[in-house]
Amino acid sequence: MSTPRDDIILSVQHIENRFGEQRVHDDVTLDIRRGEIIGIVGGSGAGKSVLLKTMLGLHTPNAGEVLVQGKPLASLTPRDLAGLFGVLFQQGALFSSLNVERNITLPMREYTDLPDDVQQQLALMKLALVEMKPEVAQKMPAELSGGMIKRAALARALALDPAILFLDEPTAGLDPLTADAFDTLIRTLNETLGVTVVMVTHDLDSLVGICHRVAVLVDRKVIVDRLPNLMENKHPWIQEYFHGPRARAAVAASAARQKE
Amino acid sequence: MAPAAHALKITFDEADHRLRMSGPLDIHQLAQARQVLQKLQQKQVQLASADLRGVTALDTAGALFLLRWLRDIPMEFGDAAHQTLVQHIGSLELPQPKHSPAPRHDMRAALVSIGRWVDARRVDARDILTFTGKALVLLSRSARQPGGIRYGAVCQHIYAIGVSALPIIGLMAFLISIVLAYQGIAQLRPYGGEQFTVNLVALSILREMGVLLTAIMVAGRSGSAFTAEIGVMKAREEVDALQVMGLEPFAMLVTPRILAIIIALPLLTFYADLMGMFGGYIIIHSLIGISLEQYLDRIHAAVSLGDLFAGMIKAPVFAFFIGVVGCMHGLRVSGSAESIGYETTAAVVKSIFLVLVLDAFFSIFFEQVGL
Repeated sequence: MSTPRDDIILSVQHIENRFGEQRVHDDVTLDIRRGEIIGIVGGSGAGKSVLLKTMLGLHTPNAGEVLVQGKPLASLTPRDLAGLFGVLFQQGALFSSLNVERNITLPMREYTDLPDDVQQQLALMKLALVEMKPEVAQKMPAELSGGMIKRAALARALALDPAILFLDEPTAGLDPLTADAFDTLIRTLNETLGVTVVMVTHDLDSLVGICHRVAVLVDRKVIVDRLPNLMENKHPWIQEYFHGPRARAAVAASAARQKE
Repeated sequence: MAPAAHALKITFDEADHRLRMSGPLDIHQLAQARQVLQKLQQKQVQLASADLRGVTALDTAGALFLLRWLRDIPMEFGDAAHQTLVQHIGSLELPQPKHSPAPRHDMRAALVSIGRWVDARRVDARDILTFTGKALVLLSRSARQPGGIRYGAVCQHIYAIGVSALPIIGLMAFLISIVLAYQGIAQLRPYGGEQFTVNLVALSILREMGVLLTAIMVAGRSGSAFTAEIGVMKAREEVDALQVMGLEPFAMLVTPRILAIIIALPLLTFYADLMGMFGGYIIIHSLIGISLEQYLDRIHAAVSLGDLFAGMIKAPVFAFFIGVVGCMHGLRVSGSAESIGYETTAAVVKSIFLVLVLDAFFSIFFEQVGL
C-alpha cells in the first residue's frame, strides 16, 4: 500500500479551490481515519459544501488531490466509488419517480446480479437498519415527511455497505427529537457496521454528542482536533462558535447525559 | 493484501458436517454464495456447524445471508466485529417480503379505470369553467378600474409571449405558405388555374392557417411557460407567501398573463398573416412568374376585409383559453417537482386541443352567419 498509514481511509492533500477571484480553500489538508465520525463546521461561505464535493469527486480542485485508501480519487472506477462512498444529500435526493424500495435497490440492480427477491430482502433490511417500518418500502418520496426522507435516503446511501458515509447537514430541518434519534442512529451504524462517517453539520448537539473529531474551516484553512482541544483554540471565530450560548447548552446537555 | 482474499471460498467437510468459509462475504459475493448453499440444500446435506474464521470482510448483506441460511447452526467467527454485526442484523425485525399479487385485468378493473378517466375529465371541465369565470370577473374589474392593472408585469409578459416569439412565428408562417403554394400550384395546374393559387394561399392564411398555427405555437411556448412559472412558485410556497401578504395570487399572477396573451396573440397573428402572404408571393413568383403588382391585384380581388376579420377575431378568444388553461394547471401543482412536469404537459395538450375545438366551432358559426 502506498499510504504511509493504513488507518487513514481518505486523505485530502493540499487542496486549493478558487471561484474567479475568490479563494475558498488554500492548501487544505485533512486526514480521515478509518472508523471515526468527523464533523465539518464553518461559517456560511467557508467552503464546507465545496470541500465535501471535492472529496466526492463532484468538484475538481484547482490544485491538490484526494486519496482514497491511498489511491488517487481520479483513478477509481465508478464501480469502486459506489462501493466506497455512500452519500446522504441535504434534501435527500431520493429519485422522485421511484418508490423507496426501488431507490434502495437501484445501485444493487446496477452492480450485482442478485435475484429480485434477495434485493427486496436487502432493501427491507436496510430500512430496518435505519429504523423504518417495512410499509415505507412501497411509498413514493413525495409521500414522506422530512425526517422520513432523510432516513430513506440514508438507507439508500447504505445500499452497497460503503466504507465512508458522507452526510450533508443530516439533522438540518428536523425537530430536536427526530434530530436526536438521527444522531443516535448514526452512532449505532458507526459502531455496528464500522462505517466511517464524514458529516457537514451546524448542529452543535451532533458535534458534541457523536463526533470523535471536528474539522473547522476558517480563513481558507482547516483546523482539526478533538472537540475539548478545539474549544481551547484562540481563533476568534472558533471562540465565538464554541462558546456561544447554544454551544454551552449543548456541552452541558451532553455532560448531563453522560452522568446518567 | 493477498489475491486469495478477493474471492470467497466455501467448502463443506463431509466428515464433521462443517461448513468453512474464507475470503470476503459481501454483497458482490452473495450470488455465488447462494448458489453453493442452494446446491448443498439440494443434496440434502446436514450442516452441523460453520467455521467463519477465514472470513476477511463481512457487510450487512453478508450478515443477512448468514442469518437466512445458517441461523440454526453454531457459527464460529474469527472477528468479534463480524459477530456483533450478525447479532445486530439478527436483532432487527425483518418481515418476510410479500409478493404483491399480479394486477388483475378483469372487466371490473377496466370499467373502473374508464370511470376514473371520465371523472377526471368532469373535474377538468368544471375547473376550466370555474377558472374561466374567475378570469372573466377579474378582467372586467380591470376594464372598470384600469388603474389597478399591473402594467409593468403585463409589458414584461407581452415581451416574453410576443416580441421574443417573432422570429419563430415569422419563419413558421413563411414555411407554411410555401407548402400551401406548392400544393396549390400542383393541384390547379392541370386545370390551367395556377393563377388561383394566390386566392388559395391568401384565403387560407388569413382565415385559418395564420391564427391557428400561431395559437398552437404560442400554446406550446407560452402556455407551458405559464404553467411552469406559476407551478414553481406554487411548489416553493411563493403563492402562499403572496396570499398571507394579502395579495391575491390570482390578480397578481393570472390577470397580467391573460391580459398580455390577449394583447400579444392578435398582434402575432397579424404578423404571421403578413409573413405568410410574403412567403406565398416569393414562391408563386418563382414558380409561375407572377409579378408583385399582379399578386397584390389578385389578393385585392380575392380577399375582403371580412376574411382578415374572420381570422383575427379568433385570436383573442384562443389567447384567453390558452392563458386560462396554462395558469390553471400552474396553480394545480401540488408541491412535488414531478407534478410541474405533469401539469405542464397536460396544459399544452389541453390548450392545443381547446384551440382546435374552438376553431371548429368558429367555422360552423361563420358558415351560419355567412361570413
